[in-house]
Amino acid sequence: MFYEELLEHDLNPFILFDSNGKIKNCNSEAEFLLNFVSADELFNLTLEYASVSFGFNKKFIRLQFEKQTFYAILVGYINEEEIVLRLYKEVTISKPIIIDENFQEANIFTLIELSKSTVLLDKDIQIDEFYDISIPDIKLNINEFLVTINNIFEQLNNISNISIKVYIKTGEYEIIDNKKYTIIAIEFSSKHNIVFDTHQTNTANLNIFFNKNIIRLEIPMII
Amino acid sequence: MDKFITQSPISKQIKKSAILSMNLPVNTLIIGEQGVGKKLLAQEILPNSTAFYAKELEQLIISKHIDLKEYSSIIIYHLEDVINIDEFLQHLTNIKIVATTNQKLTKYNTIFAVKIEIPSLSQRNEDLQKLIEIYTQEALNIYNLSKGDIDNTKLDLNGNGITLKQSIFKHIVLQSMSQKDILSILESYLYKQLQKNKTYKELLSIFEIPLLKASIKAFKSQLKISKQLAINRVTLRKKLHNYFGEL
Repeated sequence: MFYEELLEHDLNPFILFDSNGKIKNCNSEAEFLLNFVSADELFNLTLEYASVSFGFNKKFIRLQFEKQTFYAILVGYINEEEIVLRLYKEVTISKPIIIDENFQEANIFTLIELSKSTVLLDKDIQIDEFYDISIPDIKLNINEFLVTINNIFEQLNNISNISIKVYIKTGEYEIIDNKKYTIIAIEFSSKHNIVFDTHQTNTANLNIFFNKNIIRLEIPMII
Repeated sequence: MDKFITQSPISKQIKKSAILSMNLPVNTLIIGEQGVGKKLLAQEILPNSTAFYAKELEQLIISKHIDLKEYSSIIIYHLEDVINIDEFLQHLTNIKIVATTNQKLTKYNTIFAVKIEIPSLSQRNEDLQKLIEIYTQEALNIYNLSKGDIDNTKLDLNGNGITLKQSIFKHIVLQSMSQKDILSILESYLYKQLQKNKTYKELLSIFEIPLLKASIKAFKSQLKISKQLAINRVTLRKKLHNYFGEL
């Protein structure tokens, strides 16, 4: 009982699967994780890292599911009926945003257009744009935003199609200096999986999330 | 010419990027080979700003002969000429910069949030044709000619707009020459050669090579050439043999 309680309160997700991939038990962190990733995907991951015979296998690998990143995985089984997965959470990648004198008003659609027209100048890429044009001019660090978008386009310049979606995230807010700000998401997606290295984008005031074929940049709507 | 030419789709897009970056508080780096229009584009982004050659500005900063606080924006040509670019750019942190370079300089991605790469003229055919038209007209006006034939295959694009203009002007100058001009040039040339102790026989090629080249172009066959020039066919063949490789 004590160990079950301990696992329930653990900050790292824990899932116990049966031999068919059905979840037999999991903690609250795992429940949160299951909002972003399916049980099937996690079960496949478990099988992929399971040891050849009974026992525990620990690997230091970087995994990212939406906003959560993990630095290690532990898979263990001692019989044919059950297998356990435990992921080790990295310190949150969401960074506190600091509003400083570099924040200036700009139109994000203009900035995206500028970045697109310079980085993808001679590239034959089909780009579909879905913009919520009701988004007003906002205050942001223009230089940092452009450098980040440039980096994203540079990493995507071998892809034949990109969809860019700019929208307001409903129900999510960013708290900066005790003030609540709506979040604007800029989403770059492709029909195919994307090779993207979030570490190449050095951003102090922007949050980037990457999952398979979607790169999402989130910025607070500071007017 | 005072405007960046925008006849090709790619240069239209480049101009669009330049306009979008005009009012943004970010630095722009314009990359391209010699003569592609980097300076013109820089001047369109910052039309009222002072322009410096990077090397010259570096010297002014080192010798403290410039007060950078007086400038809110500047244009810098040939950034690649600066020895220590990092240190140089640190002096300019509060100034909006539009710099030009013929090198990629990927290291400075965070300093230059806008990077515009201008392709060579050979990749922008519509711009090339427009420039040929502009430079030809300019040359015709200067030499007071009404018409000039430009052989596009003889145009030099190695230095893009710079060598293109030079080769067009050369074409037009040659077409504008009278017999008197040619004799005068020859006289001047021969005088210099005589200082080098050249003989009559050595200098004869100056006259014979163009004559034979023009004859081949006009008559094709040796029979017709010898007939027209009224020289013996054996003599003609001997001369063609002597100048083989130069004709």
